[in-house]
Amino acid sequence: MSGSLIVVERLVKRYGDHTILDDVNLDVKAGQVLVVIGPSGSGKSTLLRCLAALEPMQHGSIRIDGKLAAKGKEEADGEPDAASLRDLRQRIGMVFQQFNLFPHLTVLENITLAPRRVRGMTQAGADRLGIELLRKVGLEDKRDVYPERLSGGQQQRAAIARALAMQPKVMLFDEVTSALDPELVGEVLRTMRQLAEQGMTMLVVTHEMGFARDVADDVIFMDKGKIVERAAPEVIFEHPKEARTRAFLERLLDREGRRQ
Amino acid sequence: MNDFQFTRILVYLPDLLRGVGVTFQIGLVSASIGLVLGLVLALMKFSRHPLAYWPAYVYVEFFRTTPPLIQIVWLYYGLPLITGQDLGAFGAAAVALGLNVSAFYSEIYRAGLVGVHRTQWQASRVLGLSLSDTLRFVIVPQAVRNVLPPMGTTTIYLIKDTALASAIGTPELLRIGQLISVETFRPVETLTMVAILYFAVTYPVALFVDWLERRFKIART
Repeated sequence: MSGSLIVVERLVKRYGDHTILDDVNLDVKAGQVLVVIGPSGSGKSTLLRCLAALEPMQHGSIRIDGKLAAKGKEEADGEPDAASLRDLRQRIGMVFQQFNLFPHLTVLENITLAPRRVRGMTQAGADRLGIELLRKVGLEDKRDVYPERLSGGQQQRAAIARALAMQPKVMLFDEVTSALDPELVGEVLRTMRQLAEQGMTMLVVTHEMGFARDVADDVIFMDKGKIVERAAPEVIFEHPKEARTRAFLERLLDREGRRQ
Repeated sequence: MNDFQFTRILVYLPDLLRGVGVTFQIGLVSASIGLVLGLVLALMKFSRHPLAYWPAYVYVEFFRTTPPLIQIVWLYYGLPLITGQDLGAFGAAAVALGLNVSAFYSEIYRAGLVGVHRTQWQASRVLGLSLSDTLRFVIVPQAVRNVLPPMGTTTIYLIKDTALASAIGTPELLRIGQLISVETFRPVETLTMVAILYFAVTYPVALFVDWLERRFKIART
């Protein structure tokens, strides 16, 4: 078994008096694909945002490759220094529900900006990398198009390419298909499947249970800021241990059943 | 009453054009002060640090809630009394208007920056872009588009406000017009002429801003 890429210990995140994440522990090994499910407000997205250093946290620590990447404000010991922090953050890529492409830049410019400015690549080198990534996500003919001319699915694939351009070790996906028309979900999921097959370590918050079943190594069920259960997908979907997991899945499957 | 006598004013055209030159210079100097200082103030108001935020807050509220005419008078008559520093009529007018307009520009900058969606900051952060790169490559290029129309309007106001410099005797367009009126007893004709010349300065500014707006729009579609 390879070593842990991400270790989250005793993570507590509060907004005012409201506790969003309550003592979360998580261990992600290199190459693992973890799918996080749970009702809205369970803290799934906030967990990803803490990992991406978009949210400060009150307690606990996040280690990447064994090095301290973030820790709670109310934690006493040890502060990660700024340089290694930047370095660590570059190992994490994130894709958002709303794509968040830069509207004033072409698809290719969206991808090459960070490699040029952060990794110090030349324009030519970054362009080569960008074109290669666009081919990978099936958008090579859209390189000089502005994002508003793309469909939602194309925008999301471009956003995935943009994140990959920083060559992260872990990719975080925050409900990346939730804002898409149903017929566009498939193309984004396909891209994510490919990525998983190539061995990318992934943390995926989604409501796509089919994806969870097929691609996940482990499924994590979260509720009320806690990880309630973590197990292989067949265990979670066929024989969940916890009553709360069962209740959530029954509600979800019931709703999906009625839709069909 | 159809004995308007514009021809009598035309002999003064060279004087009026010199006034246009002074008006233009006051406008240019004060707009330059305002554009730079306004950006600094806007960034200070974004800061959570009280020593950055509060001075900027007080500055902006002070300058935008008191009449620019009085600000000019303070600088021209008041400053020499306090510091012994005499800016002269041109200097006092240009600096006072620059300080004044920076308060308005700063609010426009602020609105422009706030108008760029929060998620653009997050996307930049996740990619590891530094604060200055995020501003330079992501936020400001988008804010410019929001900012241009109100910037243009405020600058046109500013150019017309340079007429207030006449109160301390700066030989700008309105002041020259006043002198000609007194000499010729033809205030209506003179001031009409003056208004036309103001238009000749402000309208190109409006056209320039329109052009900028078009340029920044084409760049994105």
